[in-house]
Amino acid sequence: MKTLFSGFKIFDGEKFVNEDSLLVENGKVAKIGSGLKCEGAEVIDGGGKILTPGFIDLHAHFRDPGYEWNEDLTSGAKAGAAGGFTTLVAMPNTKPAICDPALIEYVLSHGKAAGASRILPAGCVSKDRKGVEMAELRKMAEAGAVFFTDDGSPVATSDLLRLALLYAGKDLPRIMEHPEETSLCKNGQVHEGRVSAMSGLKGMPAASEEIDVARGIALARETEGRIHFTHVSCAGALGLIRQAKKEGLSVTCDTTFHHLTLNENAVISSGYNSRFKVNPPLRSIDDQAALWEGLQDGTVDAIVTDHAPWHMDDKDEPFQEAPFGIASLECAVAVLLDYRTRKYPDIPLELLFAKMTSSPASLLPEEWQQLGRLKEGAVADITIIDEDRTRIVDCSQWNSKARCCPWEGTALTGWPVATYIDGRKIWQDEEEA
Amino acid sequence: MPSEIGQIAWRHKSVIDIEGWTEEELYFLLDQARHMENVMDRPIKKVPVLRGKMCVNLFFENSTRTRVSFELAEKMLSADVVNWSVSGSSTAKGETMRDTAWTLEAMGADIVVMRHGAVGAPQYLASKLKRAIVLNAGDGTHAHPTQALLDMYTAWKHLGRLKGKKIALVGDVLHSRVARSDVIGFKTLGCDVVLSGPPTMMPREVNELGCGYERDARKAVEEADMVYLLRIQRERQQDGLFPSVDEYHRWWGADEELLKLAKPGALVMHPGPINRGVEIASEVADGPQSVILEQVRSGVAIRMALLYLCGGGAR
Amino acid sequence: MAELKEKTKLMNAQDLSRVIRRIANEIVERNKGTEDMILVGIHRRGVYIARRIQKMIEETEGVKVPCGELDITLYRDDLTTLFEQPMVHSTRIPQDISGKKIYLVDDVIYTGRTVRAALEALVDLGRPSCVQLAVIIDRGHRELPIHADFCGKNVPTSKSEVVEVRMQEVDGKDEVVICERNAE
Repeated sequence: MKTLFSGFKIFDGEKFVNEDSLLVENGKVAKIGSGLKCEGAEVIDGGGKILTPGFIDLHAHFRDPGYEWNEDLTSGAKAGAAGGFTTLVAMPNTKPAICDPALIEYVLSHGKAAGASRILPAGCVSKDRKGVEMAELRKMAEAGAVFFTDDGSPVATSDLLRLALLYAGKDLPRIMEHPEETSLCKNGQVHEGRVSAMSGLKGMPAASEEIDVARGIALARETEGRIHFTHVSCAGALGLIRQAKKEGLSVTCDTTFHHLTLNENAVISSGYNSRFKVNPPLRSIDDQAALWEGLQDGTVDAIVTDHAPWHMDDKDEPFQEAPFGIASLECAVAVLLDYRTRKYPDIPLELLFAKMTSSPASLLPEEWQQLGRLKEGAVADITIIDEDRTRIVDCSQWNSKARCCPWEGTALTGWPVATYIDGRKIWQDEEEA
Repeated sequence: MPSEIGQIAWRHKSVIDIEGWTEEELYFLLDQARHMENVMDRPIKKVPVLRGKMCVNLFFENSTRTRVSFELAEKMLSADVVNWSVSGSSTAKGETMRDTAWTLEAMGADIVVMRHGAVGAPQYLASKLKRAIVLNAGDGTHAHPTQALLDMYTAWKHLGRLKGKKIALVGDVLHSRVARSDVIGFKTLGCDVVLSGPPTMMPREVNELGCGYERDARKAVEEADMVYLLRIQRERQQDGLFPSVDEYHRWWGADEELLKLAKPGALVMHPGPINRGVEIASEVADGPQSVILEQVRSGVAIRMALLYLCGGGAR
Repeated sequence: MAELKEKTKLMNAQDLSRVIRRIANEIVERNKGTEDMILVGIHRRGVYIARRIQKMIEETEGVKVPCGELDITLYRDDLTTLFEQPMVHSTRIPQDISGKKIYLVDDVIYTGRTVRAALEALVDLGRPSCVQLAVIIDRGHRELPIHADFCGKNVPTSKSEVVEVRMQEVDGKDEVVICERNAE
């Protein structure tokens, strides 16, 4: 099976290359060149669109097993494909929690059966995600786990986190820490700041994230382990991570599409719409700016969706009663591209693309690190982007079961229009046909 | 006596909070409340303005005082009244608020007066209702617009135009919807607003509220024209926010010593019900400067005015 | 937006003054003195007319009869058709009206609905022994069985016309004019 992608602006995982054509053969990149021709190949004409390695989302929730009315591995995989993501890491806070090899295989096989994006499972750090005993990390790694995390919560005790860091060392998948000091966030609804003062909603101080990041860094230093902080949202935490990197520690982090493009004012301006309720909360304008700085100076390694799907019946409640979470797989890329065009047009597209391709790939276990780059011999995971396409976000058309998001009804410019894994097309925008 | 306030175009239907109301609108409402208070003095305490309109008092939180106040106002305007009390949250009851909204529409409710423990609940309900309007009787710790309006009305009756007057709000501002609404209201009328109370009971970003914070109650109350005491809930002591009722009372409670520091004849106000010996001493609550009971009466008049302006008329 | 164009001047300041004086005298005549009477002006201009009547009665009889003001906004029968709620003005009658003879005063009587509302308001305030109506202008087109007991002038009008009784206290001068509504 040969496919020739011709007339594209090609991003190879690090930079835009001069060549404009890419040949895929048997699911791998056979050649990248200028004006390539190939007998018997299906030709896809780019017309100047962008071609990148398929986007990798290191943090998405699929609620499967246990909460399938909100999302399942099939709808989630299809949603990811429709959002331009070819690889998604599934979070383990399901019911039962993914903490043994049998459940790791469940996620892998159900994900594969969907026939859409590649789903890689994460396993819990602790048994049943209870935060007491360490789970069987080695067995889960052998079965295919790519990260260990108790996400939804921080690792419950410093003792357990230290043990996990020691045990995982440098050869097991990384520990992904959800940075929160839970006693500071009890019943919290929003960021402790302007919005909590004016609305009376209980605030979750930024200090909570900083405290847990400081804990993780100290333990990573002591154990020489590798720790990855997910959905970092405040300037203070970024500062600590920046410092730790300078020191040479194995500390990495990601932030979300929504923290980059929204801040706490959205809670009030939306009239306390629960679509803007998320943990960690949307923070101050200064925190938001700090995240963009962190992207540019290398402190932030990846951008993730933290796709948190809820059925409308559950999510459509008054702010204080609704669950936390933003579902964004099918529009996250467009939200970011549109925002960058409007607010940060001088930031090169390559920077953002790298944080969605080669950079997150480098945090996966070795066998997957080849994802996120396009070069001869690489796996042909491809995302096509039309920078000029304008569309209105319409959640009612989504593949995801979570038919609501903060950008419903907004017109955005810059959309993924097709995705391929292993050279096989898994999604295409209807208008592209 | 010609009214100095002229007719303005009343643009509010549902009232969630008084954020964004102009000084002109506030004084117009206070003026109309004055005439409504007149109705309360007549031998027949009824006018036919809301005849045929259905008011539903939807209270998710217990509150006899506010509910009765609204009920009296509604009945004096000849509306039909339905009291719907829901204990516990809607999810605990099994019925989502969306379904409650549709039930209300089906019943033919014209005006829904709602009190709920969750911030944003009345706004949410208003967004789901196609016909009926929502008046917020208190949503969580966010807003209590009718309380602020009756507070302003009471102060205006005694002090006239309030521009430049000073009001000190003392107590648990962090958890107080009354405080938040009063700050917005009195600031719009041009008052100098000062907050006081234990630092554990103040929002961290108190400047976002647009007024000063003075930890020392004695300084806060200096030369104040109005001293407003907020209710202290005893549960807050269990949460560890202040160590004891006695310590709170000695440093932030209003007793005669504290009152002496305010302007002579300063008004003493409280949203009720009062905790004697906690935020206010009995001598002050029952003393000549206290307008606490008058506030209750003002509440009915203000609610009548609001119901008339927002709830009457064509749809 | 309909514009009002002045068409005819019915009365000047002196004419208006004479009319009010005549009405004041007629009221006292029919009342057989000033016992048990209360003048009640209907907002807005009726209030000023009532006060002038009160003053004239004081000049001729030497007695200041009680004079009050009545706002009928809350009793209007057309509120449900209006999108904007009209402003409420004060209602203040210095005595209990029960058992008294009430003389309602208004500037113009037209459909009669304002007077009907005023009657309903009065009934809620007490039980007068009788209620009579005094107006400066009766312009016809009654929609209810209501009549004026004392009338300054009968002026037949068409529905596109508007009769304005202008008063010094409100409009800066005394006169009565007929205006034409020009629908633009």
